Amino acid sequence: MRKVLLIAKRDYLSAVRTKAFVFGLIIAPLLFGSGFIVVGLMRARPDIAERRVVLLDHTAVAGPLIADAVTRANREQLRDKTGRQVMPVYTLETEAARPAEIENQRLELSNQVRLRKLFAFLEIGPDVLTSGNGLSWYSNEGGTGEGRPWLSGVIGEAIVHYRLAQSGMDSVRIGEALKRVSLESMNLIQKDPRSGRIESSGRKNEVAAFLVPFLLAFLLFMVVMGSAAPMMPAIAEDKMQRVFEMLLASATAFELIAGKVLAAVAVSLTSSTVYILAALFALNALSMFGLAPLAMIPWFLLYLIAEVVVLASIATALGAACGSPQAAQSLGIILFAPVIIPMMMLSPVLQRPDSAFATVVSLIPPFTPMLMLTRQALPAGVPVWQTSVGLVGIALFSILIAWVAARIFRVALLMQGKPPSLPEILRWAIRG
Amino acid sequence: MSAIEIRDVTKNFGSVTAVVDLSLDVPEGSIYGFIGPNGSGKSTTMRMIVGISHPDRGSIRVFGEEMSARAPDGRTGYLPEERGLYRKMTVSALLEFHAALSGARKPQASVNKWLRRLNLSEWGPRRVDALSKGMTQKVQFIAAVVAEPKLIVLDEPFSGLDPVSAESVREAILELRASGTTVVMSTHDMNTAETFCDSIFMIFQGRKVLDGSLESIQDAYGADTIRVRAEGGATRMEALSGVEAVRDLGQVQELRMRRGADPQIALRELLARTSVAEFSVTRPSLEDIFVRIAKPAEMEENAHA
Repeated sequence: MRKVLLIAKRDYLSAVRTKAFVFGLIIAPLLFGSGFIVVGLMRARPDIAERRVVLLDHTAVAGPLIADAVTRANREQLRDKTGRQVMPVYTLETEAARPAEIENQRLELSNQVRLRKLFAFLEIGPDVLTSGNGLSWYSNEGGTGEGRPWLSGVIGEAIVHYRLAQSGMDSVRIGEALKRVSLESMNLIQKDPRSGRIESSGRKNEVAAFLVPFLLAFLLFMVVMGSAAPMMPAIAEDKMQRVFEMLLASATAFELIAGKVLAAVAVSLTSSTVYILAALFALNALSMFGLAPLAMIPWFLLYLIAEVVVLASIATALGAACGSPQAAQSLGIILFAPVIIPMMMLSPVLQRPDSAFATVVSLIPPFTPMLMLTRQALPAGVPVWQTSVGLVGIALFSILIAWVAARIFRVALLMQGKPPSLPEILRWAIRG
Repeated sequence: MSAIEIRDVTKNFGSVTAVVDLSLDVPEGSIYGFIGPNGSGKSTTMRMIVGISHPDRGSIRVFGEEMSARAPDGRTGYLPEERGLYRKMTVSALLEFHAALSGARKPQASVNKWLRRLNLSEWGPRRVDALSKGMTQKVQFIAAVVAEPKLIVLDEPFSGLDPVSAESVREAILELRASGTTVVMSTHDMNTAETFCDSIFMIFQGRKVLDGSLESIQDAYGADTIRVRAEGGATRMEALSGVEAVRDLGQVQELRMRRGADPQIALRELLARTSVAEFSVTRPSLEDIFVRIAKPAEMEENAHA
């Protein structure tokens, strides 16, 4: 054990004393989280530039009706409670459609959209008011643009009101009768096991319910990648520099790999501690400390250690099998599969955490750390038997992978020349 | 008592047999020189002695313990042929790491002592990648001996060293031997093997072909060599009576005589032809013995190629 600790200490210090580690500690969350930051910034500063829309009207009736409804809704929703403008001003102009030259009209309006003189044009077909069909939206908006969905809701409501009025019904009263109700999301009621009292659990914070598990999974992904990813090329380079042969006279291959894996665990715990403390300070500063999932931190660290052991073992074995850091990088996809695949499964698991799919995939050992952690962080939680099975599974899997990796590592260390094929690596794993 | 006992060891790498039925005893406190052409099995044998690789057949015992059952315990220091150190560490930190890993009781004191011993004290705080090749080699030598092991295995310890550095490493090895350390070292320099080693072991194509003191090896070949310095150099020396082969060393020629041939006849024939400045009947040098063993096989291999 003394030798394992010596090797771990050397590897740990050589990893954390580099500028790359300090730089990565700051840059990694920015890089990984840049997408969220951009979305957040865009939400904070919505696009409020004026949007000119032409209504190409085949009915002579629907155009003004729609223009009125949109203008009214636009005026009502233009600002939030603080008076800040939160959506663009829509300026609508009606143009009568001329059936004989409709193609030319569409082309002309399309060109104006291309030249950014118009935001879009809406063609109102002759049967819109009766059948509801025939509304066509022409724009350069992307698939997730907000203009079409907003206008669609406003225009739909206006046409319903028009039809009701045409039928002699009081559209205002019917509108009140049809007013939608919203469901308030509450936490489940629970009984305190000690006092026996039934506790009210209050309103559920939907954003927090999604963000906490997502951010925990994301942090796990980021830290695991940050600590295991550099290992494979580094070990390949050490092998290329012939560093290991001398060490093997003083320590066994298993002691070497154990020291390296232990160093990776220590590096990952260092990064996690920095990120967790930073997050807690930030939440405290924002008076949101209540959102901190303190009970999840031990679970996070436990799963982190298991995942890093698995990935660092694989990285060490593959790094030793490679002839150069470049060859090692090309094997990255094998190394990262245990974190990338569950990351891709995160969305369905977050949506239905108690589904059979979520249960099964979170019990597959290499996916357990990320997916079980995510499910545990959701308000519904996970039955104890599942966390127990998951923990035993990932513990056994970690030991198995470390053992196999040590066998490959021992043979691969002294091999030079052509990199081994996959069957050769498997043979080393079996025969040692 | 033997520090190393090798018994009937065979080692294969796939279809290539690196070592065949090798048996060898290295006495404690001796300097044992391993010689042999490139690829003959020297490094493979050394790796098995150190325990980095294991024999497919046979056994190796070091200080009485079977190597296959023995974990590295700091009693063996190893300088591999392929040099490699963590290049971004400082010399002192690197050596302290090796010393601690090999079980040195006071790593820092041992490192300082060895740095002084090999005139590298001022390089202690510098990074390994700032050192010259020769200095790096001296640092690696220190890494092998810093824990003062009972056995040191040195694969080509003098290659790449300038004469001054080679001399300080040579002195250090002799000091270690004087303190009871057993030294196994390989070399391509026959002069070093002759003058520095207590015993010599030659491996060729995986098999032991020579083993013993220089004296005993030369005795086995007998006084079958004539060293000649004659006017006109090596001209037609092979035509002299009893001469089996001629080795032209430039100013001097070595004539290997057939078994039972009389050197005096060859001398008379030579004097009848030219003036002779030097003529001596001697035992073959280690280099000559090496060439006698290795050259025919090399020529045969070239002929097949």
